[in-house]
Amino acid sequence: MSNYVILTKTAHRDTKVILDRSEAYGDKVKIALTFPQEFRNVQACYPIFFIKDGDTGQFYPAAIFGFEDNENLFLTDQGWDATYIPMMIRRHPFLIGFQPGPNGEKAEDNPVVSIDMDNPRVNGEKGEALFTEEGNQTPYLEGSIAGLEAIHAGHEQNKVFIEALLANDLLEPFTLEITLNDGSNNQLLGFYTINEEKLRDLDGDTLSRLSKAGYLQAIYMQIASFARVRTLIDKKNALLLQSQ
Amino acid sequence: MEKNIHRVVILGGGSAGWLTAGIIAAEHAVGSNSGSSDPSDGFQLILVESPDISTIGVGEGTWPSMRSTLQKMGISETEFFRECSASFKQGTLFKNWLGSDKQGSHDSYIHPFTVPQSYADTNLAPHWQLIRDQVNFADAVCPQSALAEGYQAPKKISTPEYAFQLNYGYHLDAGKFAELLRAHCVDKLGVIHIKANVEGINSAANGDIASIVTDRAGTVEGDLFVDCSGSRSLLLGEHYQVPMRSKRQYLFNNTALAAQVPYGAPEDPIQSFTLSTAQSAGWIWDIGLPSRRGIGHVYSDAHNTEDRAREELMAYIEASAGKQAADQAMVRKIQFEPGHRAEFWHKNCVAIGMSAGFIEPLEASALVLVELSAAMIAEQLPANRKTMDLVAKRFNDKFLYRWDRIIDFLKLHYILSQREGQYWQDHRDPASIPDHLAEQVALWRHQSPWHRDSAHVDELFPSASFQYVLYGMGFETKGSTTARRSEQQAYQRAGSLFQENAKRTQQLQASLPTNRELINKIYSYGMQKI
Repeated sequence: MSNYVILTKTAHRDTKVILDRSEAYGDKVKIALTFPQEFRNVQACYPIFFIKDGDTGQFYPAAIFGFEDNENLFLTDQGWDATYIPMMIRRHPFLIGFQPGPNGEKAEDNPVVSIDMDNPRVNGEKGEALFTEEGNQTPYLEGSIAGLEAIHAGHEQNKVFIEALLANDLLEPFTLEITLNDGSNNQLLGFYTINEEKLRDLDGDTLSRLSKAGYLQAIYMQIASFARVRTLIDKKNALLLQSQ
Repeated sequence: MEKNIHRVVILGGGSAGWLTAGIIAAEHAVGSNSGSSDPSDGFQLILVESPDISTIGVGEGTWPSMRSTLQKMGISETEFFRECSASFKQGTLFKNWLGSDKQGSHDSYIHPFTVPQSYADTNLAPHWQLIRDQVNFADAVCPQSALAEGYQAPKKISTPEYAFQLNYGYHLDAGKFAELLRAHCVDKLGVIHIKANVEGINSAANGDIASIVTDRAGTVEGDLFVDCSGSRSLLLGEHYQVPMRSKRQYLFNNTALAAQVPYGAPEDPIQSFTLSTAQSAGWIWDIGLPSRRGIGHVYSDAHNTEDRAREELMAYIEASAGKQAADQAMVRKIQFEPGHRAEFWHKNCVAIGMSAGFIEPLEASALVLVELSAAMIAEQLPANRKTMDLVAKRFNDKFLYRWDRIIDFLKLHYILSQREGQYWQDHRDPASIPDHLAEQVALWRHQSPWHRDSAHVDELFPSASFQYVLYGMGFETKGSTTARRSEQQAYQRAGSLFQENAKRTQQLQASLPTNRELINKIYSYGMQKI
């Protein structure tokens, strides 16, 4: 379970965060939520598909790391084998929260950074420090907070992005069936992707609006990311070979 | 040249009128006409509604067919849930129908909307006969009864609109439903809405209705008139004098006392079965909407006094919702003659809804008949006046057949009962049982209902429905008198199907939300179209 507390320089002066990537630190996951502003980097490494939040039924874009639950084909004994790691993976052990400010600020205007003290990355000895001897934020913490702010903006952007896709009927469900070298069949179920036919048929005005909002680029990044399914298959086949 | 049918006038604005308008307009584009270049000759759909007559507002249960009906009209299911106080209906739960002395507190059974496991090719009924002491029929052959008894929904928030894990229809607020349909028909489908009272009818030389005369919108001409005016049946009944055929000799109920009852607490569970509880001379319906319950007593006034019927209703409300709810309940009395018109389509006039007929709401057949009637009109809309008589004959044959099958199926619930009392005894009197039903029951003593029982491909009640009612009420079908060569294999397959069903039931129980949870999520997030 997590145990989030508000990050302060007095309470967390000596706190450190381990940045290694491994199953023990919670990195063995099949998917991670992603945002259009990092699509360019994500599509270079992973397929991006749209999936539904089981709790709300709302769509969100996700980077895919494996075929089965708790399978991350990029995670090796040497760490995470890819040039880019999505923001939602890197955010741990931090979280952005909102609470009413001391001078009467509304909760939504007053973001606060929290840290999960039960996250195995968090300790007093190893890893990156959060504060300097003088009590200033370390570059690591500064970067992490910038990441949290980008994630917060990304959530908002996702909502509008998805709305635009749905309004133009641009999402369609699809099932990916893959036959591995050992003859076994793997299915990726519950995924949605851009309907390329509908995209082709969009009129100029709609295309122009999507382009100005930055969504057209994101749409083509998602389509391009399809090629990364091959990466997943190759990694899975390599694993099968090893285990033989 | 024969005049094309391009102007359809619907009279009446209850759920029957607006459903009919929506179904026809979903099929035929208003304004279109392939045979003429004159735009004023394009297809027109007009609904004339009296501003002074309130709709009766009963018929709060639908069949699963309503899903495709709404979807075809282009209505968002999310909007439908939000606007119509809709909830999920997964079937009917019958309580105390068999006779309380026979099964004690277990006198209940379920007729779910899901057909038995692998019903297309395997008949599980004979195999269930061997294990009938261990598990009830519905639980053995489908997951729905167990799920709905736990107030669980037939789908998840991530399931697209109109799709499901378990088949479902709806419970809804009929008044709000008509309002949603009206807005959709007028705003999206191009239906012309006229608010006026009918004052007269102009006939054509051939006896057709040429136009209706209204008090404030002048004369409304039409090529086809659809009578959705309710039990008054203004066109088919009053104008054409097509007689009612009473069916009271089979089904005695002719009076209903209807009430709306609040939940004890706003988060009380929502039942997704229509609850039907047998009474001394009728039965009580109990329909759970998100905001309230609709509870009513339908009975035969020849077998019960209004006072006594009211007492039974109040006792039921008090037992299930408390004394305060019973004291505050406003009860509305509705009387009807169970039966239908001798024909439904006469000249250029066709009746849909209560103007065509009404029989007690035991299996919620009212709205589904509206859907089927309107769909047949939409599909077979005559090209011109000449072909109309042919379509009319087909329509009449089909719906006379359907009314007979409804009567058979409803009557089945009564003749299997062992309840005491004059009403129930009268129901079992052979003179009150239609011949066709009596013959089928005699056959079912020796072979279970199966696909061969369906004479038509679009049979209203599939053989599965008969299985659920028969075996729910403890009916016994004797085993085969000869050794069937296929038996051993079939026996093994049945065993694995029973196991599969038990496994699927557990999986669904672990993954599906409650009705209340899902409906709240639909309010917050909506369902996706894909």
